[in-house]
Amino acid sequence: MTAPRPPLLSVRDLCVSYGAIKAVKKVSLDVFAGEIVSVIGANGAGKSTLMNAIMGDVRRESGDIFLDGKPLARRSFQVVAQGLSLSPEGRKVFAPLTVMENLMMGAFPRRDRHAIDDDLKRVFTLFPRLEERRQQYAGTLSGGEQQMLAIGRALMSRPRVLLLDEPSLGLAPIIIKEIFRELKLINEQGTTILLVEQNARQALLLSHRAYVLQTGNLLKEGLSSDLLQDPDIEAAYLGGGHKKP
Amino acid sequence: MGTFIQQIINGLSLGSVYALIAVGYSLVYSILLFSNFAHGGFLVIGGYICYYTLNLMGTNIWVAGFAALVGAGFCAVLTERLAYKPIRERTSVTLYLLIASMGMSIVIENIFVIVAGGRFRALPPVIPTTPVDLFGLATTSAFDLLSLVAAVVFLGGLQLFLTRTKWGLAIRAAAYDLRVAGLMGVNVGRLISIVFFVAGLLAAVGGIFLSVRYTLYPQLGMITIKAFVAAVIGGLGSLPGAVVGSLILGLAEMLTAGFLSSQLRDLVVFSLLVITLIVRPSGLFGKDIKEKV
Repeated sequence: MTAPRPPLLSVRDLCVSYGAIKAVKKVSLDVFAGEIVSVIGANGAGKSTLMNAIMGDVRRESGDIFLDGKPLARRSFQVVAQGLSLSPEGRKVFAPLTVMENLMMGAFPRRDRHAIDDDLKRVFTLFPRLEERRQQYAGTLSGGEQQMLAIGRALMSRPRVLLLDEPSLGLAPIIIKEIFRELKLINEQGTTILLVEQNARQALLLSHRAYVLQTGNLLKEGLSSDLLQDPDIEAAYLGGGHKKP
Repeated sequence: MGTFIQQIINGLSLGSVYALIAVGYSLVYSILLFSNFAHGGFLVIGGYICYYTLNLMGTNIWVAGFAALVGAGFCAVLTERLAYKPIRERTSVTLYLLIASMGMSIVIENIFVIVAGGRFRALPPVIPTTPVDLFGLATTSAFDLLSLVAAVVFLGGLQLFLTRTKWGLAIRAAAYDLRVAGLMGVNVGRLISIVFFVAGLLAAVGGIFLSVRYTLYPQLGMITIKAFVAAVIGGLGSLPGAVVGSLILGLAEMLTAGFLSSQLRDLVVFSLLVITLIVRPSGLFGKDIKEKV
């Protein structure tokens, strides 16, 4: 990732405040095309705020965001149209809608019916369980299935960068493994991913590069493989001791 | 027996008009989570547009009705843009929206007091009120049957819109989570405008039928309180609930009027409200409020 090419998504000196509380302080990060980049940090580090600010769901106080060199819009529906989509924290599937309807919501801004059908097939290939349950209400799915649906829904807009907020939240380790395996596959199929995670080990194992966020400040950045070996990171986020899984 | 069937039909007819009003009100509530007290204003706007189009331009009821529906829809959108949008963009506290809607309700009422005057007006006899014999069982008026048919047509249309179209799907998604609907690429401002347009349009249909049933005057919108009660009985924010609640209310009113006393109608209506709030506060089809944080 050292080639001198411009980043696909670039965040410059982003600040976000909730009233007097500064949640994100001058954060800059780059995501290059084809990469998986993770942002790790503890609860309350500002990870979700960062994602929501990129999506235009939370007002940025200052700073710039660029997608492919162009300034990113500030309203969510424009951001989605420009090519970002988010699988939000806590999944947030539309419980009273069916799996199919949830996926069609993901494709809301699109008009290319045939390409939508292709993407639907892609999502069902990645997550066959969603196809089995396509007419079921999203609220009746298990936590893991809801997470798959949230990711599938975000893929339905055919994003240039897929943003994932805590895809491992509240899931059993075996389901987390399954979902991260599919994320790797999604990336290999050509989707750039920006991932925010408390589960630092899984995130670092999956991503190419990573940033460490602490109380709104960027603490460190580097190759994920280096950060996995970093003693400070290990002590703070990986539970120390156990070097390799 | 004849009286009973007749009162059932009258009740369903009145209930169906309540339903047209309650559904729009409930739709707005499901998206923005506040009671839009200006909703009654939309039906008054519809009524007056119909009245003036008929009287000044001499058109038939179809043209006047169309003008009233579209006009009330646009006025509803305008109300949202002028009074609610500036508040929505600054705060998520819905109490301010509620208070703004009370203000808009007074504004709309007084615009008509100034422009049209406070007196009662009767719509020209554009909707037939001839008696209709129902298989020898009972007699009812064509008007009652027509208002029932109109409600079925418009509520059916709404149902098709919500289940078969892209924006309908977006509205159902937004009713569950407006924020996440925005994250899916839905232009939330436009979605809210569509919802207000639909609410205004449905209210106008109710307004025309109410103007014929009673008369037209600036305070006719007060009848929306009945529709609010119906929506609460059915479960706030639930559209099937609003319809069922409205029909229950219409039947209760007409059966009371037919067998007890016409003066007890409102007593029965508000007793039903109190009973619902005690026994089942979330209404018949109520959503679990805890899910909405």
